Amino acid sequence: MNTIAEHIADFLKEYPPFDNLTFQELSDIAINIRVINLEKHTVLFQNNDALHDSFYVVASGVINLTTIADAEETIINKCHEGDIFGLRPFFAKNNYMMTAKAREESIIYAIPIAVFRPFVANNSDVLNFLLESFAVNSRHTKDSVNSNGKVISDTSFYVDQGSEMQYIQSLSYNNSPLTTEANHIVKDVAILMTEAMVDNIIVCEKNKPIGIVTATDLSSKIATGRYPITETIDKIMSSPVVTVIENVSLAEAQLLMLKHNVTHLCVTKDGTSKSAVKGIISEHDLIVAQASNPGVLIKEIKRSQLPKDLKQIRDRLSDLIQNSIQKNIPISHISNIASEINLAIIKRAVELSILDLGSPPARFAWLSIGSQGRKEQLLLTDQDSILIFEDVTPEKYRETKDYFLRLAKRATAILEKVGYEYCPNGHMGSNMLWCKSLTDWTKQYNSWMNTPGENSNDLSSIFFDYEIVFGEPKIEEVIENVIFKNAVNNTLFFDFLGNDALKKNSPLSFFKKFIVEEEGPHKTKFDIKTRALMPLIDGARLLILNANIKGIKNTYLRFKQLAITDSKNAEIYLSCAEAFLTLSKFRTVEGLKNDDSGQYINLREMSKTDKEKLKNALTPMKDLEELIKSKFQLTQFS
Amino acid sequence: MLDWLKNINKEYPDFWKDYLTKFETKPNRFVVLSTETSGLNPDKDVILSLGAFSVIDDGIVIKDNFESVLLQYKYLQDNGLSNEFIIESKMIKMPEPDALEAFIKFLGNAILVGHHINFDIEMLNSALERLDCGRIKNEALDVDIMYRKLMDVNDKQFSLDDLCEIYKIPKSDRNSSAEDAYRIALLFLKLKSRLGIK
Repeated sequence: MNTIAEHIADFLKEYPPFDNLTFQELSDIAINIRVINLEKHTVLFQNNDALHDSFYVVASGVINLTTIADAEETIINKCHEGDIFGLRPFFAKNNYMMTAKAREESIIYAIPIAVFRPFVANNSDVLNFLLESFAVNSRHTKDSVNSNGKVISDTSFYVDQGSEMQYIQSLSYNNSPLTTEANHIVKDVAILMTEAMVDNIIVCEKNKPIGIVTATDLSSKIATGRYPITETIDKIMSSPVVTVIENVSLAEAQLLMLKHNVTHLCVTKDGTSKSAVKGIISEHDLIVAQASNPGVLIKEIKRSQLPKDLKQIRDRLSDLIQNSIQKNIPISHISNIASEINLAIIKRAVELSILDLGSPPARFAWLSIGSQGRKEQLLLTDQDSILIFEDVTPEKYRETKDYFLRLAKRATAILEKVGYEYCPNGHMGSNMLWCKSLTDWTKQYNSWMNTPGENSNDLSSIFFDYEIVFGEPKIEEVIENVIFKNAVNNTLFFDFLGNDALKKNSPLSFFKKFIVEEEGPHKTKFDIKTRALMPLIDGARLLILNANIKGIKNTYLRFKQLAITDSKNAEIYLSCAEAFLTLSKFRTVEGLKNDDSGQYINLREMSKTDKEKLKNALTPMKDLEELIKSKFQLTQFS
Repeated sequence: MLDWLKNINKEYPDFWKDYLTKFETKPNRFVVLSTETSGLNPDKDVILSLGAFSVIDDGIVIKDNFESVLLQYKYLQDNGLSNEFIIESKMIKMPEPDALEAFIKFLGNAILVGHHINFDIEMLNSALERLDCGRIKNEALDVDIMYRKLMDVNDKQFSLDDLCEIYKIPKSDRNSSAEDAYRIALLFLKLKSRLGIK
């Protein structure tokens, strides 16, 4: 009789693969569990540790799994409640290949392998679950979409995506290379290589590499008859061999191969030829590693048939963003890639809906508006879109609008499944109001811009940041022309936008303290979106519309462009551009940390230097405000 | 001291003699204990149930546990309760002497851990006295005192629920000494690593 064992069995039966076992079986397993508490940042096991006799299930808290490449730590996965990790002892004999570290204080169940093994052997569902999860190279098992629990493979190095991201990418390579000694006979070595089915062998002296023999050496030196097959191997080896340190990144490996004009790199313990051999990297390993990059992600998106496939790809993008931020890759660069991938996902969602519904009865354009329209979307935020279809004859109008509404409903539903929430204000093409003909849209923009304030409830500035995702580019052009034509000398409109931009609450108090939320669920946190980012975004939009500059949608680029056009205020614009990047980064980091939109920053968890950095990023806002005030002489609405 | 003189020629039960020999070696295990009692007076009240887990090498060993409901016939009669009242429990039921013997065997030389453990020990001691045994010899740790030491608080006591709230240990809907023991064990693990106790 063991009450707690039964509670633990109750907990386990919610998660795969345990859901395949009976309660009695689970109780038998639970009784053998050890419960461990890990304080924040405690390491449970790390790369190269000897295998434990247990695997682990997260009972509460979060465990980060990381690998190390180019002497930097990269997060592969976060394990939440119910996730299984550390399965390596089931399948492999050598040491752990990753590090498991508590991201927050966590409670872990350690299940002894010896206890669990019989259940794996006797239950094919459990075995399949483990094997399947183990066979895939990344975390993205089929199950991860459908279930809370997932198993994280730790057989091989994690190969991530991103040709632009290569320098953060680690490589998987042969960790048990063939080795031989200098005095061995060529024929014997060739037999050895043939049996092992590899094209290379390292020649060692006291386990230190002195040369390498590849298939090329055999064909060029033996098959040509230059040396007999009875010769010793040191006569035909290529020497010295190019050596690299463990955990080398893809980019570095590629550079070294090009530099030395070789096809193999020998991995040694300290990266020189004076230490023990650890592995061999072949050109082929590089090709395999390159197979997943943003280009490939986009290709996969184009092939996807189901929302859940898209969801997996979106999850991979989150990993990519997180890794890139940790590596200090410029945020403008990351957001470019992220927007392209977001764009491809939305495009595919529309495409899939058309495949379902049949061809559209008229030409149309699907525009992303708001943050995706500005190509600034890094975190999963809500969807914002509009749909514009070309004018049709009055008798066909109803039918056409019906089709496009259904199309938009379908596409937004797919996106919701991918993880983009519906816009709480209903700013989506699936809304009657925002799915209409070109003429109606022209009227809409005309009325917004010529009589702002009259129906001001409708007017959201996000309608002025748009990007075509799908359909007829000409339609977008027409709308752009309408907007810019209306903007010329439209004091009223700029007055309205200007006041809108300035009415946001200031981020710092008179005494340069952060103004934080005073009540609500985010009490004492800093609202970085409304207080810091929105004023910059609004300001940039206002100024760029006023300067009549078309085609630049991104806040960062808008400021850069303004600095060129309006050179006497260049300094202000440039500091705003920089500030925008810094603030976006803070928000993204916070969002990734909490799996949310990152709108509210917890100042208490911030280091002093970060707080200073954040404060500094807020200083250009004052100048921008003054600039807007003087430029537009805001009076009408103030 | 006088206790010791009084007991010098006393013949202890075998399990107690066995228990005393265990203290020749150093303990390598903690036993986290929670008791449920009929009241707060060690002389008049009795233990109704015992729940305990062992902690070895910073982990709770689920298998190494002790759970028992004590059949306190006298207590039930005094309170006008029938035996059926207690038979509802899924825990193993034992008369007090059997339960105590089994628990002492389970305890061995381990370091006792509890919440306000002195009271649990007093309760155990009175029950042991009824069996002609001596007093509990084990070292004991109290999670409340550990917490107060960690936080440097002297003027306040913390209930088990307070401490669980502070360390975000979920409350259990069912309340038994085994559940409490498990919660204390989790608390103990957290406090132990923070205080650097080996």
